[in-house]
Amino acid sequence: MILITNTLIDGLKERIANAVSTNQSTGIIIPSNNYSDLICSLFEYMDTKPDAIWVYLTITKPFESLFDDYSNLINNQNIIFIDCISHAAGISKEKSNCIYIESPSQLESILLEIMNSYKNTDDKKNKYLIIDSLSSLVIYNDAPLVTEFFTHLINRTRLSDITTISLTIEEELNDNIRKILYLKSDKIIKLKESFI
Amino acid sequence: MTDVEYISTGIENLDKLLEGGIQRGFTTLILGSPGSSIEILGKQIASTDDVLYITTEETKDDVAQTMERFGWGISNIDFLDISSKFTQQILKGIGRPMNSFEQKSKSKILELIKEGSSSILPDSNRKFDYLADLLDSIKKTTRKKIILNTLDFFISEYPEDKVFRIIQEIKIQNSGKKTALFIILTKGVHSEILEKKLEGISDCVIELEVLQKGSTFERFLTIKKLRNYAKRIGIARYVVESNGFVLETVERIM
Amino acid sequence: MEEDGALIINEKSNYKKMEGDSMKENGKCKTGIDELDRKLDGGIPKGNAVLMVGSSGSGKTTLCMQYLINGAEMGERGVFFTITEPLFKLTKNIENFGFYKKKYVEDGLVNIIDLRIISERLGLNSEKYNVEDASALLEVLKDIADELEVKRLVIDSITALCYRLQSDEMIRDFIFKLGSSLAGMGCTTILTSEIPPTKPGELKYSKYGIEEFIADGIIFLGDVNRRGDIIRTLQIIKMRGTSHSRTKSAMNISSKNGIELTPLLKSGE
Repeated sequence: MILITNTLIDGLKERIANAVSTNQSTGIIIPSNNYSDLICSLFEYMDTKPDAIWVYLTITKPFESLFDDYSNLINNQNIIFIDCISHAAGISKEKSNCIYIESPSQLESILLEIMNSYKNTDDKKNKYLIIDSLSSLVIYNDAPLVTEFFTHLINRTRLSDITTISLTIEEELNDNIRKILYLKSDKIIKLKESFI
Repeated sequence: MTDVEYISTGIENLDKLLEGGIQRGFTTLILGSPGSSIEILGKQIASTDDVLYITTEETKDDVAQTMERFGWGISNIDFLDISSKFTQQILKGIGRPMNSFEQKSKSKILELIKEGSSSILPDSNRKFDYLADLLDSIKKTTRKKIILNTLDFFISEYPEDKVFRIIQEIKIQNSGKKTALFIILTKGVHSEILEKKLEGISDCVIELEVLQKGSTFERFLTIKKLRNYAKRIGIARYVVESNGFVLETVERIM
Repeated sequence: MEEDGALIINEKSNYKKMEGDSMKENGKCKTGIDELDRKLDGGIPKGNAVLMVGSSGSGKTTLCMQYLINGAEMGERGVFFTITEPLFKLTKNIENFGFYKKKYVEDGLVNIIDLRIISERLGLNSEKYNVEDASALLEVLKDIADELEVKRLVIDSITALCYRLQSDEMIRDFIFKLGSSLAGMGCTTILTSEIPPTKPGELKYSKYGIEEFIADGIIFLGDVNRRGDIIRTLQIIKMRGTSHSRTKSAMNISSKNGIELTPLLKSGE
């Protein structure tokens, strides 16, 4: 049963917190205008759980520029970043808690690196995965492939007790991705433009 | 029309048969069956002009001795003595096979394991690359005539395709430098395909044959191929006298 | 491996034998690459001679090294015969991988031997082997395997060796005799086979076309093109003595973990 909540930007952090606390797979659909607001809320939320194991998959922005204002997050060794675009974009600053994927089309490598990141971590700790964003993968891959990737990924994270938050940007969303997001999420948060 | 420049073979009647000698830049393949005195022909060709003589079966001293006997000087010759190099390598024990008793002995196996897992091929032990040496010498030489006596050695030491590739490269060198290259090959001991391939890339093919006629042998020299001069294809009976090859009756085939 | 009692398995090791699982595992030689073992229903049947096929740079050497290092971890001694790459180059490459443990090489659990040195010491012609040469080499390979009591053997590459053998008959004979005598010692062998990049639909797993018919198994390292990016793949084409997956896996070579496999996403193929 999927619950869909329409929400405004105010109180987004709480909405996310609520959704994540009870659901293993949460999808967030957001207009591109509000993307940075959402990221802020997410980071604030991550900051409230510094002891959990976080894996942050970025296909949207290079790792370096993503966290300009959140240096405490970058330096938290409990957060592992998987950066799929820096290498493809020719940016080659290496960071110890960041794994670089050659290209966003290496979906199998992404899967492997995500699951590897949780290996050898404390079993008692809560485990989270943020996908930023599912819709960006479609820029680099055919939609059916992304669908298959996402299916594999959520199947595996469920087995390993990993809570996932999958972002999608509304403008990038096509039918294939919408369908699979609805199918594989326990809860969808759909953000309305804040000026409404 | 520009005059074609010829280089004499050193054998008067052969030059006549070829109507002037060998054109500069040509690669000549000389095929001879055993007993045809092909090794002497190579030396006689070396007796005129300035020469790079590559010897594989005989040492430089052997060649010099034979040439003296025929009254041919060697002051015009630059030698590449592969035969001596090869002998030295053999004497150094490289390539000395272990016998089956040694192979089976335990200490020998342990020694082999130790050597095989601890060292990279040391330079002193590495087998000398004769083909590279051959190519290098031919690239560097400023001599007018190059005689390779024989190619047989290389074919027995290296895979045929590798030898063929090197010969192709040498041929290009030869043609560019306008030298005259003579390659001597024993007939009938290598694969027929290789022989045909070599004939194919050569500008001129000369063949020495021994035929039994009754109780005597007759020897024939045939010009089987001469690029651009089909008319000069011909055959001659020959004998080897104390002063070298003497071509007797000459016959045009075409 | 339990009998001699010398084997210490560290706690983190994945290779702890599960109780009750031992019956199934007995006849298998685990590669130690989890996904691959799963695809092979536990591992390569002991004594098999497997052809590891791929073009240059497809990860054959890395996979074989990992197979030997993982074997050493399980207490099985192995030997790697290199023909194409000199030892220093080989070790230099392999040292970059997280799975490489120098200790195993130093302790003699993993032996890396340059076959060219061996054949030179045997006085074999470096370019061409005649029948006597080939049988001398075969004897020595067997003697070395016997002397070291290896359970795992790699020849990298069989293509380079076949190049020195002069006829199909000799290649057939060589691989067959090598395979059967090593099988007799309970030694599991991987022979790497170098093939030029294949065209789609072309099914040939060895340069000489003979190796593949004699081998007990074929593991094929290929690639698929996804929007211009090359994705490495691994597929088990055949494996005598075990059921196995026939699906293609995507293969990753990471400096930390070496070879990693995950099912290939198919929509993109």
